[in-house]
Amino acid sequence: MNKTIETDSLEIFANEMEKVKDALPKKIEANPENAEKGLAKLVLTLIELIRKLMEKQAMRRVEAGSLTDEEIERVGETLEKLENKMKELKEIFGLKDEELNLNLGTLGDLI
Amino acid sequence: MKIYAYGVIDSNEKIDETIRGLNGAPLFNVPYRDIGIVVSDLNAQIQKEDKTSVLKHEEVVEMLMDKFTVLPMRFSTLFSGKEHISLMMKNYYDDFIGNLDRLREKIEFGVKTIWPGDLIRERITAAHRKSDNLPLVASSSGKSFMNEKFENYKIDKEFEEEADRCIAVVDGFFNRYVSEKRLEKLKTDNLLLSAAYLVDKEKSDDFKKAFEELRSSGGDLKYLLSGPWPAYNFITLSRSMDGKFGGPDLIKTILQHKDPK
Repeated sequence: MNKTIETDSLEIFANEMEKVKDALPKKIEANPENAEKGLAKLVLTLIELIRKLMEKQAMRRVEAGSLTDEEIERVGETLEKLENKMKELKEIFGLKDEELNLNLGTLGDLI
Repeated sequence: MKIYAYGVIDSNEKIDETIRGLNGAPLFNVPYRDIGIVVSDLNAQIQKEDKTSVLKHEEVVEMLMDKFTVLPMRFSTLFSGKEHISLMMKNYYDDFIGNLDRLREKIEFGVKTIWPGDLIRERITAAHRKSDNLPLVASSSGKSFMNEKFENYKIDKEFEEEADRCIAVVDGFFNRYVSEKRLEKLKTDNLLLSAAYLVDKEKSDDFKKAFEELRSSGGDLKYLLSGPWPAYNFITLSRSMDGKFGGPDLIKTILQHKDPK
């Protein structure tokens, strides 16, 4: 059966798919030389996931109007501190935002 | 020496031994009851990014597709010996039979769609900035932070809703020709849709026509159709097999090595 690839925009697709590949680290790189960084990447990825879930839940509650002014202020301060702390930790371990993700195969990306 | 696997087929008989696999090694079918797994011996290491080997793997699977129903293995699936293969075939026999029945006379097509995501996000962001409908009076650092995050949340939400609307239109062109589908939304801001469609072989031409209709429908979206592929994305197993099956995105590799039509 003859395979076809039909498009008017080959180069655009090739470039976009290159971005997808770069955005998806397949696994945590852990070996004797970089064990600390590998472990930090794993731990920070999980923390980042939880932080983003918390942030999204907070936004949903703001949207639904189910938080009082005081609660919004407290949640805002907490989320801001968490975000700043994550920035510090990423800097310490030399990790970029796009590195904090895991490809879970058929389940897609963790974040 | 290791054994390299290409796919499970609905036959336990010998296959054409003139067909060659990776590194020119002959292919053989390891039978188990009424099915088999097509393999070749492998002495050397496989590099994950070895494009020649990726294309060879795909070529073998496609040759098998012409004669059998195939459950294609993921590129670089290796077994340490025939006894491991037999054990795997025994453990997953029921799964394989179920998939072979479900995927008989079916093929996979890939459809990718690019939209001007950057521009759409810019437009949505500008509209939000203009309306300035922030929910909170920013009297503290916590509230300012929440305002900024809430605005981004609303922009993301609107962006995704617009993506969902566009995907529904694109998907609508193919719905009546497909038996199953896997849709992935926004792998990047601009890559609106990466879809895999499972199609009856006899509806293959209809599916391609639907793509042509979509492509000629105008607008500023860009489309790519690839296939027919073996049904990489539609094999379902009751238990994990450590990624031995699954959907490789081979289009990029193919694009680099073949002159597309």
